[in-house]
Amino acid sequence: MQKQISQQNLNILLDTLIAEGKRVVAPRMNAGIPLYEPIKSASEMVTEQLPRRSGKEAFFPLCEDIMSYKKEGQKVTLKDIDPARFPETVLVGVRPCDAAAIPVLDAVFSWDYKDDFFLERRKKTTVLGLACTQADDACFCTAVGLSPAETRGSDLFLTPLEEGGYACETCSEKGEVLIANHKELFSDANGFKTLPLADPQTEKFDLQKVKAWLDEHFEDPSWDSIAIRCVGCGACAFVCPACHCFDIVDEGTEKSGKRRKNWDACGFRKFTHHASGHNPRDGQPKRYRNRIMHKFKYYDDKFGQTLCTGCGRCIRLCPVGIDIAGIVEEISKK
Amino acid sequence: MCDHTKKNIYLPYLATVEEVIDETPDVRTLKLVFQDDQVRESFNFRAGQFGEYSAFGAGESTFCIASSPTRKGHIECCFRSVGRVTEELRRLEVGDTMGVRGPYGNSFPIEEFFGKNLVFVAGGIALPPLRTLIWNCLDWREKFGDITIVYGARTESDLVYKRELKEWQERDDVRLVKTVDPGGNGSEWDGKVGFVPTILEEAAPSADNTIALVCGPPIMIKFTLPVLEKLGFTDEQVYTTLENRMKCGLGKCGRCNVGNVYVCKDGPVFTAKQIKSMPMEF
Amino acid sequence: MTNSIDTSIYSAVTEAIQAEAHRILSEGQVSAIVGYAASRRAGSARPIVITQVGDSDKLIFTPACVNNLSVYLTKAKKEIPKKGKIGIVVKGCDLKALVGLMGESQLKREEIYLIGVPCAGVLASTVQPNRELTPDSIAPKCTECDSHLPTGCDFVPSETPVIPELDEKYAAEIARLEGLTPSERWTYWKEQFSKCIKCYACRQVCPFCFCDQCLCDRNKPQMVETTPRPAGNFAWHVVRAMHLAGRCAGCAECERVCPMDIPLNLLNRKMAKELKELYDYEACLEVNEKGPLVSYTDKDDQSFIK
Repeated sequence: MQKQISQQNLNILLDTLIAEGKRVVAPRMNAGIPLYEPIKSASEMVTEQLPRRSGKEAFFPLCEDIMSYKKEGQKVTLKDIDPARFPETVLVGVRPCDAAAIPVLDAVFSWDYKDDFFLERRKKTTVLGLACTQADDACFCTAVGLSPAETRGSDLFLTPLEEGGYACETCSEKGEVLIANHKELFSDANGFKTLPLADPQTEKFDLQKVKAWLDEHFEDPSWDSIAIRCVGCGACAFVCPACHCFDIVDEGTEKSGKRRKNWDACGFRKFTHHASGHNPRDGQPKRYRNRIMHKFKYYDDKFGQTLCTGCGRCIRLCPVGIDIAGIVEEISKK
Repeated sequence: MCDHTKKNIYLPYLATVEEVIDETPDVRTLKLVFQDDQVRESFNFRAGQFGEYSAFGAGESTFCIASSPTRKGHIECCFRSVGRVTEELRRLEVGDTMGVRGPYGNSFPIEEFFGKNLVFVAGGIALPPLRTLIWNCLDWREKFGDITIVYGARTESDLVYKRELKEWQERDDVRLVKTVDPGGNGSEWDGKVGFVPTILEEAAPSADNTIALVCGPPIMIKFTLPVLEKLGFTDEQVYTTLENRMKCGLGKCGRCNVGNVYVCKDGPVFTAKQIKSMPMEF
Repeated sequence: MTNSIDTSIYSAVTEAIQAEAHRILSEGQVSAIVGYAASRRAGSARPIVITQVGDSDKLIFTPACVNNLSVYLTKAKKEIPKKGKIGIVVKGCDLKALVGLMGESQLKREEIYLIGVPCAGVLASTVQPNRELTPDSIAPKCTECDSHLPTGCDFVPSETPVIPELDEKYAAEIARLEGLTPSERWTYWKEQFSKCIKCYACRQVCPFCFCDQCLCDRNKPQMVETTPRPAGNFAWHVVRAMHLAGRCAGCAECERVCPMDIPLNLLNRKMAKELKELYDYEACLEVNEKGPLVSYTDKDDQSFIK
C-alpha cells in the first residue's frame, strides 16, 4: 500500500507518539556524533549522516541487567527482570543496512531458546526505515544483495521525495496499524517523484563463491597477511548492525549485585581464553578469520543468512583500515 | 529436559550445597539439591549434558552434570579451581546457595549403545563427563555387554572419584584398568604405570560391537584416537565430549564455536568422525 | 578557511622511502619493514608489513598515513616478525613513541632501522580519506606539532616540509576546560564518556599500552567494571590517563581511533601539562629510563599533598 507523508506531518506523527508515552528512537546528535537514541521532540532527528552505531541497540543494548542477586547468610534471592517493562517503541530514520540486520538477528536470538530480552523488544517495536540518497565508498550494501531502498526489516519504509516529504510503503501489519492509527497524517500516493537513490559503487559479491572458498580454506596463509595489522579492539563488532556476541558478568559486592549482559567481540584476545591458559584462537589472524568465517560462512551454515549488511561502518572506523569489502571481493575473485 | 517455557532463559535455578567432597587437592565435587520443589521433582537430564553453575557475585562456570540421570533428587558437579568463579565455588560450604542453569547441550545417544560393549577412556579431571554415563550404564547394567574403564592421571593423588574407582574395581561386571603416569605412583599403588593411550593399547579391548567413549586433555585425545583406530575402531564408534570457553551455554553469545559447530548446542558430545571434520580451533 | 596545506613534498618522500626500502631489504639490512600502503578506498592508506624486496613500491607517504606504526614493535603485537632488524616508517610524533618505548626497555635502538618522514600534517579521523589537507581537515595534534622533521633516524628523505601556521587546538580546548567550574567540567566529561562503548580501540593502538594483562582484563579482583556504564567508563579512561601520565608521546592515536569521537587526547595533554608544571618534565624527548612518576627525589614538588 503506497501512501505519502509530508515532513511536517512526519514531525507531528513523531511528536504525537512521544506525547502518547511511546519511546521514539531516531538518529540524533549526541556530543558531536549522530546516534540512534530516544528523542524528546521530532526536531531532534537528523538524517544527513549515518548514525555511528547501528540500530541493533534498540533490541540488543550495549549493556543490560538480566537479573539481580541478594545474599543473606546462606540464602540467596534472585530478582528477575520483567520483559513487560520494555516500552512500546518506534524506531525511525533507520537506514536499510541497519533495518535489514534485524531479521538476520532474529534467527540466533530465537534458536531453540527464546531470548526475550531481544524478542520482547522486537515485538514492541515498529521500524520506520528510510531510503538512502547518499553513499560513500565504504558503503557496500549492494554487494551483499541489499540496496539503499531495501525494505527488509522495516515495518514502514520511507523514501524521500523531490517535493519534500516521503513516500510510505507498508511492509508489515505493524506498518499498516501505524498508518491506520494516524491516518489523517498520511495522504494517498499522488504521482510523486522520489529523490535519486544512493548508488554504492561496489559490484555484487558472489556470496556462494565466497562461502565455497571459506568452506575449504580455514587454514590458508592469506589469513596472516589479511589480519596481521588488526590490533584486536572491538570497534568493528560494536558498530556492526549484525554482530551479536555478548558477555555475561556479575557486578556488585559479595552481598548483592547484578548479572549483566554486555556486548563482546571475537576480536578481543581474551574472548576464547580458557581459565587454564589455553586459547584456541591465539594470534590475531585466527581471531580475524573467525570474524570473516562467522559472517560469510557459519551464519549461512546455521541459519541460511549472511551476517553482514554492507553498512561500511567497520571499514570507516577500523583503526588500521581493515576493509572487509575489499577482503570479500578478493576472496570472490580467487 | 530443558525448560523452554522459562521467560528469562538466563535466570538460574537456586540449589543448596548438600555435600562437599574433595577429590584431589584442587578438584572438588559439590552435591546439589534444587531449592524449588517443582524443579527438584521435574529436573531431568541426559548423560553428557552440562550446566552453567553460578557463584553469585563472581559469575558462571561451565561443567558437565557429573551425576547420573538415574539418580534422582540431586545433581553433582566436579571442577578444578583455576579461575575466579571456580575459586569462589570452592569457598562454598554445606548449606550455601549456588545457581544452576541447564541442562544444556546434546547427550550421549545411550539408546544406540544398548547391546554393545563399552570402553571408557578418561584422563585426570576429564573423568566426570564420562562418570555420569558410567553410572547410567551400570544402573542399567543388563542393557550392555562388556564394560571396560581405562582411567589414569598424572599422579595417584590426581585421580578423581577415588572411592568409586574402588567400587568399580570390586565389581565383577566391570573391568577397570587404572594407571598413573610414569613417576606418579606411590609405594602402595596397585594399578598400572604408563600414559593412558599406552595402557589402553595394552588392555586391547575388542572393537567388535563396541563403542569407545573418550574424554581427556587435548594431548591425551591426540594419542588415544590413533590407538583406537589401531584396535579396529571406526570413527563412528568413538565418542568424546569437548569443552570450550562458554558464557550463555545456549547458542547465542557466539563464544564457543569451533568452526560452524557450537559446542554448547551441537555438542558437547561428538563422534570422532565429527571431530575430524572440525577445524583445529579447540 | 580552506586554503590547502602544502603537501607537495609527499610524493618525493614516497619515492625516497620506496628506494630506501628497496635498498635495505635487498642488502639484507632488515628482515621486514613496517610502513604505509594504499588501500581500496580512494586516497586511503593503511599499515603494511613487507618482507619482499619486490613489495617496496607498495610503500607510500600521504596525508592519509595517520597510523602510529610503533605500536607494531611492542610486545603486545606478537604476530609481527621479530627476527633481525625491522625497518619502520615514522613521522615525528611516531618517533617520540619509539623514544619512550626505548626508555622503558621495550625496544633496542640497534634492532630498528628508522625511516623518518618529513611531514606537514595528516588528516583528522573524522574526515573522508580523499579530502585535501587543509586547516579544517588536518588532525588537531598537527596544529601543535614540534617534530615535523624527525631527527636521529637512519634515513630521512631530503625534503623539508612547509610548516603551516595553525591555531593550537588542544591548548585552546584545555584552556577552555580549565576555565569551567568543576561541575561544568564534570558535565562535559560525563557527556563524552556516556558515548564510550568499551571497545578498547584507544588501548589497542596505544604504543604504551603493552601490558600482557591490562588492568581491566584482570578479574581477580575486577578493579574496573567491564560494563559500558558511566561509572566504569569514567574509571577506565581516568585509570588509563594516569597510567600514561609521564609516558604518553602525544601521538593522539587514541583520539583518532575512538569510534565515538571522545576527545581522549585532551586528558593526556592535560596530564602532560601538569607534569611539565610540577616536574619540568616532557615525555619522549630523549631516551629516558625514569620519568617523574616512576622515580623520586627529595626535591620533588609536594604541594599537592594537603
